[in-house]
Amino acid sequence: MTAAGEPSAGSVTRRILRRQRARIGVSVVFLCSHQAAEALVPVMIGVVIDRAVATSDTRALLISLAGLALLFTVLTFSYFFGARLGYAAVENESHHTRVEIAGRALDPRGLRSGLRDGELLSITASDAELSSLVIRAAGIAAAATTALVVSAIALLVVDVPLGLGVLIGVPVVVFALQRLAPLLTRRSEAQQEALATTTALAVDLVSGLRVLRGIGAQDHAARRYAAASAHALGVTLRAANSKGLHLGLTTAVNGLFLATVAGFAGWLALRGRLSVGELVAVVGLAQFIAEPVGTLGWCVQLFATAKASAGRVARVLEAEPLVTPGSAGAGKATDTRLALDEVRYGNLDGVSLRVGAGEIVGLVAYDPRDADALVTLLSGRVPRDDYHGTVRVDGVAAETLTLDAGRGTVLVEQHDVALFEGTLRSNLGASHSDDALLTALRSAGAEDVLDAHPDGLERELVERGANLSGGQRQRIGLARALAAAPPILVLHDPTTSVDAVTEGLVADGITAARGAAPHGTLVITSSPALLRAAHRVTVLDGGRVVAEGTHDALAAADARYREAVLR
Amino acid sequence: MSTNPHLLPTAGARQTWSELLAEFRRLPGLSAAAVALLVAASASGLVAPFVLGRLVDDVVAGAGTDRIVRWACVIGAAAVVAGVLTAAGAAVSARLGETVLARLRERVLDRALHLPSATLERAGTGDLVARAGDDVAVVTTAITGIGPLMLGAVLTIVLTAAGLFTLDWRLGLAGLIAAPAYVLALRWYLPQSTPYYAQERITTGERSQAMAGALHGAATVRAYGTEDVHVARIADRSAAARDLSLTVFGIFTRFGLRINRSEFIGLGSVLVAGFLLVRADAVTVGAATAAALYFHRLFNPIGLILMEFDAVMQAGASLARLVGVASLPAAAVPTNDLEVQDHEAALSVTVRRHHYEDGPTVLEDVTLTLAAGERVALVGASGAGKSTLAAIAAGIIAASDGEARLRGVPLNDLGEVRVRKEIALVSQEVHVFAGPLADDLRLARPDADDTEIEKALDRVGATGWLRALPDGLATHVGEGGHRLTAAQAQQLALARLILADPAVAVLDEATAEAGSAGARDLDRAAAAATEGRTTLIVAHRLIQAADADRILVLDHGRVVEQGTHAELLAAGGRYGHLWQSWNGGASS
Repeated sequence: MTAAGEPSAGSVTRRILRRQRARIGVSVVFLCSHQAAEALVPVMIGVVIDRAVATSDTRALLISLAGLALLFTVLTFSYFFGARLGYAAVENESHHTRVEIAGRALDPRGLRSGLRDGELLSITASDAELSSLVIRAAGIAAAATTALVVSAIALLVVDVPLGLGVLIGVPVVVFALQRLAPLLTRRSEAQQEALATTTALAVDLVSGLRVLRGIGAQDHAARRYAAASAHALGVTLRAANSKGLHLGLTTAVNGLFLATVAGFAGWLALRGRLSVGELVAVVGLAQFIAEPVGTLGWCVQLFATAKASAGRVARVLEAEPLVTPGSAGAGKATDTRLALDEVRYGNLDGVSLRVGAGEIVGLVAYDPRDADALVTLLSGRVPRDDYHGTVRVDGVAAETLTLDAGRGTVLVEQHDVALFEGTLRSNLGASHSDDALLTALRSAGAEDVLDAHPDGLERELVERGANLSGGQRQRIGLARALAAAPPILVLHDPTTSVDAVTEGLVADGITAARGAAPHGTLVITSSPALLRAAHRVTVLDGGRVVAEGTHDALAAADARYREAVLR
Repeated sequence: MSTNPHLLPTAGARQTWSELLAEFRRLPGLSAAAVALLVAASASGLVAPFVLGRLVDDVVAGAGTDRIVRWACVIGAAAVVAGVLTAAGAAVSARLGETVLARLRERVLDRALHLPSATLERAGTGDLVARAGDDVAVVTTAITGIGPLMLGAVLTIVLTAAGLFTLDWRLGLAGLIAAPAYVLALRWYLPQSTPYYAQERITTGERSQAMAGALHGAATVRAYGTEDVHVARIADRSAAARDLSLTVFGIFTRFGLRINRSEFIGLGSVLVAGFLLVRADAVTVGAATAAALYFHRLFNPIGLILMEFDAVMQAGASLARLVGVASLPAAAVPTNDLEVQDHEAALSVTVRRHHYEDGPTVLEDVTLTLAAGERVALVGASGAGKSTLAAIAAGIIAASDGEARLRGVPLNDLGEVRVRKEIALVSQEVHVFAGPLADDLRLARPDADDTEIEKALDRVGATGWLRALPDGLATHVGEGGHRLTAAQAQQLALARLILADPAVAVLDEATAEAGSAGARDLDRAAAAATEGRTTLIVAHRLIQAADADRILVLDHGRVVEQGTHAELLAAGGRYGHLWQSWNGGASS
């Protein structure tokens, strides 16, 4: 994260804490009470030894056992309520953040975040949750502090010099051990990365297994995986060595510290300054106190993780919209529905283009980048400052239209058709009548998708329509666009996965659905069947219009055109 | 391409254990050292509470300062020894566990990649991907992450219990009173939580799916103005996942209550037993103290084991699935003793009849012979049997009744490895392998240098976009990297074909999904990649057929027309009609 990102991380974190303050407050109180009770368990063991076991006093035993039972009751229910509330705060906040991110990621005006889809996805999937962990970190930190305070008081009550020694000694030991942590973190990060790479490689190779088999490359693939696996093993072992070293050092240092405390406390007990119970309590506390101190160290890491995630969340939530819609309503339908004048954008180098009412215009782009630039521009995904020339819809400059007016007038159906989880009907547009949908499906040559399945329009589609073939998806996308019946429709290569016979049907269908005023239609394609159905054809090359005319005229006169479309 | 999870084997508990033990036995020195070090480390950890008990006794008895100093020194020395043993034990056991794991995952992938075609076609890749990915990850996390902790916890518990019994058998029994309480807690928890955990994974998956789907189709969502619908669906899914998480955590906290109760029962009974034994003069106050401290020390390891119990069970289930795949027979060694000599027919296929499983007949009485260097195209409507015939010719599937021969030798006799070296299939399935572009292509020929790779890419017309890539051949492509278009991915597939350099190439609808402009480039690329090879091509676009030496028109599993492009056009049959309608009525 850049330095500029940090204040945003802070504001996201503050907002998380503010929104959940009630839950957090109560949860912290309970968690503190839980940790205090945990700290008192060794003290209570000392009390039972001192008052009951050493004296053989039955009444004292019953009383001190009742005390232990009470302590456990407090301990257990404090955790029960504190942990539940804290967890609820984290979960609710992650949910909140996730929905907010989804809303921003799908902002109708687009998002100027510079993030790729994969990054956005990982931000909703993991960062939304991790940024909320600040709640857990806050709760745990408060509870650990309480445990420390309670232990400190108990120790100081027993013996001041001994208490001070423990209270200074434990944090020194714990923090000294944590100085080794960066080495450990670095190695375990390297390890996680190597393992993740290995897993990803396995998934990738097996997903492409048919491709590998097609060229007999399974052996090479297996050897590549074995090499990655061996590398991961090496990294893992190095990490395991330093983890082992850290563990051993922790064990030794804690033990040496315990030996010192036990020796000193034993000496004090011999001199009568401590009872046996107090000796037990001091030793127990000296062991226990390392836990909250270690927890505090861990909280620092947790805070750092949460903050880094909050920064990434902020990148989405605080990103500017890509385009700024205007305030003009849609113009009255005119004879020229769509007009581009001297448009320069991306590959486009001064393109002028008209689509009239009742007209189907074919567009052939020799260079696919010309078509892509045109589609991006007409989709309303280009800020006004990024292109030159004018795009007018019914005489109104496109950038001055409101969001609804713009989207309500021009519809672009992409070449790479995106379908969604749901039913066939929900993908085609749930608000249309059955008749309208059936007509659209027929025009798109997609009736087979309907007929092939007993559920008809209610047929379930999985995410991305993966249970349809590529050709079926393409035709459903076309049917969806035709059913929407927008004033101006832009289709990009709508029949590339469609067989020759069906392509002819689709050409007729598009003519029937779009061939009359007031509709205006632009079809970017090199399919002769579709181009023949168009009223006229515009040819783009090198970002410029190089030819115009009917398909037959162009095919007869222009050799380049013939080569491009008459396959 | 359906996936049936039952087609790949899963090992039983006994087989899983015996495979694991066999692996450990292959590393006898390391295994023995790991066990010895771990036991010794845990044992030396027990010295401190025991010595503390003696120290209490000496305090009660009013012994001299030197005794106290001596005990302190013993605790210190034990700590140093425990530290050294712990460090060594952790390192050695990791070496053992991780080596066994690495061997297992390598074997799983090797078997997965060499799955016989017939099995793969029936089982699909879904389950295989899950095993090579998820299951390996689950087992890895278990062994690398919680494995050492669990091992340490188990040893601490066993040795602490032994320590309790050494102090006094009655103190040991008192501690054991807690065991049924712990067991009951676990037996209450597991049946409650297990179904929820499975459900939680599903809802979390559905949540990411909704998000991924909406983001993937963001342009369409915006074009149709359906943002609200999608955000609402994501919110619903997210809320469902949250509610389920809260339910699961609720169960977990109630499990926590039961664990605390068990701790109290154990600690209380040890203290009561200590009280009674001290009063009866059977043990010292120090021994009673040591017993209580011992038991207090057990809280964390027992809690750890119980709370990680379902992770361990999951790892066990994943392990069984891995062992199942790992136990498949290794790929057969290529049989090189079969002489494949020059033969008039480079490839010949005779299918008397073919059907899938119990399905209808998809091919009937089809004979196809390709002379060396000949280029034959298959044309027909979808469902005519083109792809099936191509797959039989490539040796991917065996005909129910019929056979394919390479230069006169039946493919069955050659064996899969040999067949794959001679006949390559570029199928409809396109996959760009994640990583540097050069690595993707080197899968086809590992020893290819950059010049050869560039040459192959140039032949398929990819030089233009290769130059535009940020890091050239080193550019990361595929999942998580630079996204290639469908046409570019197809060009890669063809470049791989050039590098693999087989005598026979089978192309199945390789250009179907490309955009209009890209398709023309791909036709040229396909022609370049198959130059000089005997080629069978499934023609989705008729231009591919027009360029072929010979065309076979299939209909409902039978050959209905056969000849050159010109002959078939002149005959004015089915092919002629297809060509007319496809060309928008214009003559060529």
